[in-house]
Amino acid sequence: MINIKRVVILGANGTMGAGSAEVFAAGGCDVVLLARAKEKAREGLVGAQNMAKSERIGDLMSVGTYDDDFDEAVGKADLIFEALAEDIELKKKFFERVDKKRRPDSIVATVSSGLSITEMARPCSESFRRNFLGIHLFNPPNVIVGTEVIPQPDTDPALVTAVVDALERRFGRVVTVCDDMPAFAGNRVGFKVLNEVAQLAAKHGVAFVDYLIGPYTGRAMPPLATVDLVGWDVHKAIVDNVHANTNDEARDAFELPTFVAELIDEGHLGNKTPEHGGFYRRVKEGGKNVNLVLDPATGNYKNPADVKVKPIAFVEKMRELHRIGCYAEAFKHFVTAEGAEADLARRVILGYVSYALNRVGDGEVVRQPRDMDRIMGFGFNWAPPTVLADVIGVKETIKAIERSGLKVPKVLTQAKAGERLFREPNVNIGRFFAA
Amino acid sequence: MAAPVYVLGGYQTDFARNWNKESKHIVAMMREAVYGGLEATAIEPSEIEVGHVGNFAAELYAMQGHLGAFLVDIDPAFSGLPTSRHEAACASGSIAILAASAEIEAGRYDLAMVVGVEQMKTVDPAKGGDFLGTAAWYDREAKGIEFPFPKLFGKLGDEYDKRFGLKDEHLAHISAVNYSNAKRNPLAQTRNWYMTEDHARSQDKFNTIIGGRIKVSDCSQVTDGSVSLFLASEKFATAYAKRRGVALDSIPRILGWGHHTASIEFTAKVAESKNNPYVLPHTRQAILDAFKRAGVAECWDINAIETHDCFTTSEYMAIDHFGLTKPGESWKAVEDGTIELGGKLPINPSGGLIGAGHPVGATGTRQVLDAFKQVTGQAGDYQVDGAKRVATLNIGGSGTTSVAFVVGA
Repeated sequence: MINIKRVVILGANGTMGAGSAEVFAAGGCDVVLLARAKEKAREGLVGAQNMAKSERIGDLMSVGTYDDDFDEAVGKADLIFEALAEDIELKKKFFERVDKKRRPDSIVATVSSGLSITEMARPCSESFRRNFLGIHLFNPPNVIVGTEVIPQPDTDPALVTAVVDALERRFGRVVTVCDDMPAFAGNRVGFKVLNEVAQLAAKHGVAFVDYLIGPYTGRAMPPLATVDLVGWDVHKAIVDNVHANTNDEARDAFELPTFVAELIDEGHLGNKTPEHGGFYRRVKEGGKNVNLVLDPATGNYKNPADVKVKPIAFVEKMRELHRIGCYAEAFKHFVTAEGAEADLARRVILGYVSYALNRVGDGEVVRQPRDMDRIMGFGFNWAPPTVLADVIGVKETIKAIERSGLKVPKVLTQAKAGERLFREPNVNIGRFFAA
Repeated sequence: MAAPVYVLGGYQTDFARNWNKESKHIVAMMREAVYGGLEATAIEPSEIEVGHVGNFAAELYAMQGHLGAFLVDIDPAFSGLPTSRHEAACASGSIAILAASAEIEAGRYDLAMVVGVEQMKTVDPAKGGDFLGTAAWYDREAKGIEFPFPKLFGKLGDEYDKRFGLKDEHLAHISAVNYSNAKRNPLAQTRNWYMTEDHARSQDKFNTIIGGRIKVSDCSQVTDGSVSLFLASEKFATAYAKRRGVALDSIPRILGWGHHTASIEFTAKVAESKNNPYVLPHTRQAILDAFKRAGVAECWDINAIETHDCFTTSEYMAIDHFGLTKPGESWKAVEDGTIELGGKLPINPSGGLIGAGHPVGATGTRQVLDAFKQVTGQAGDYQVDGAKRVATLNIGGSGTTSVAFVVGA
């Protein structure tokens, strides 16, 4: 199998262009960054230097344009890495050019976060398709090591094995191999939760749901703040795609809330549109940063003091226990707490465990629970589903899932008594539970 | 001959974590290290007879003293457990190990738990640098000085330069080797960071001078971390081996130890060693004592070293002080690959303080745990093939408190 030494990045000016350039150069590759204009490609190079905190990493990089340098760079590359905008027609157009100029033994990969890999390669030659797969990096890839590798039906299985091996050993990735299904594994499961929380915000308010499904439930950042960071346009593209192209027990959870759709039309895309904001809008008031909070009913932004959430006893108790490192004890409170708020929190969190583990198995997006754990833990920085099952207890988790009226995954019912489900070595599970 | 002290194992937290970002109290870190260690060694909490905590400055970083008492809080079975906390700056972890070993040797207890811990990411770098200054003579060497310790260890490099000559490229190579080893260590802080020898040699807007000849790439890290270690008497180890179905002599022991303290002020140390072939003779003596007690004739009788590379200059010093080269010729072992993984005597297969991280009070326990992993073949991708004996060197201050161990089966 080919040894990846020379890499060409298409779409080098974007965040993922710069990020992937950093990852491949850090693994010792020579990287050519291509964009429409040289200055644009240089932006990618500088971005990679900033991520690596090293000017020297730039010694391994060169920049060029699609007009002047494409043929030579693509012809020489061992890996052609496409990081263009998420537009399948645009990608296809580039792949047609790549197909003509690449060496027959070179690997072609797309960083797409959920478009059909199979469809992208359909018009290309057999040689192209044998050597084509998805390598979905998460942003920023120098920090977030979770990575999905997505073969399509014509991808050479030996290539998949070799690419996974190289990504893990040379490029420091934690890899999940998944099927070419809408949004793949991580975004399918992650955005189900994020969109469900966005739906709940219409009724319960932004601040309340971000508090209720906050870091204490097993994530680094509250869900709606996460959507703001990702961008509402990206969020919409992912959930619309899954809603239109899948049909499972959680299909309704992928329906984009009306208020989100309307605000997107008005230019609200989250943090990338600071003048409009998203669920939050950061403004300066009297020299101080204030994080205004969206009122989904009116589309107006309110002062955080006016939408302050009244602390909920079981949430506060859990945070206190997380703070001193008693995670299992904290989740005892989660399972047994009474009241509508606790029911709601359980529906979302146990819904996450249920949905994630039900996507494991034949005909689903991944084969093993470990694959789902890896992408949720190291792509999303969320407590992997089996970590939650372990801290709650597998039997208790099954009962709680049933009580919440959710589908119990086979991974749980088939688990051996007393056996821990989370198998990833050298991982501190405490890292997933912030107080 | 002192009674033997067995090392049953322990647990290291992931040094890449930021516990302040997780909104965690320092006891959470200790709890994870303790339970992780109990699980790894299959020891019951009720079997622990005494607890020792190594910590440098929780009073400053976390506004919390009396850390020994926090052990008791971790498990109901620890109620009433005799505990204490030990401080000797960056050597605190090793001092805690020495205290626990002494009690086992004296026959007071059969099973001791040692926990090294430091939470450092609670403050900005300048304030953290000031706190670390208390490991020197604060009034004379640190007060009002930005990042005093890089400057002090820059002076160590200058002293080598003056006596023997020193090239910065050798320091850069030491840095690159530590970072490279850390990439193999799944618990190392810098395992996903970018570092090459070219970068370590360069000086630019990213790799800036921190003090004297010390650049960012020459420094160890600001780290949150905790490490537990379980030490036992022959009586406990015999029963433990039996229930685990292993031979007693397969369980590693602390074969030897050395412990010396020099003047706290750096200039006083240098003045004292003026006519000595070694720049830090008390550090040298701590190593020789550990070798002697372990029955080790010279460094080539050990298979790996976990040393105190708080800066590249401290590892440079350790190379000749361990005897890999004649005094002042450390560069030879740097140039010929001796210290690299796969070399004749690898130094810091874990990545050391530069690569794995340096949670000050936990570093000594981390080194001994790594030595344990090496000699029991459990070091994974950073395993030194066939390691039988591993030495550690843990230093508090600017070469002030030196503790060395030799661990082996």
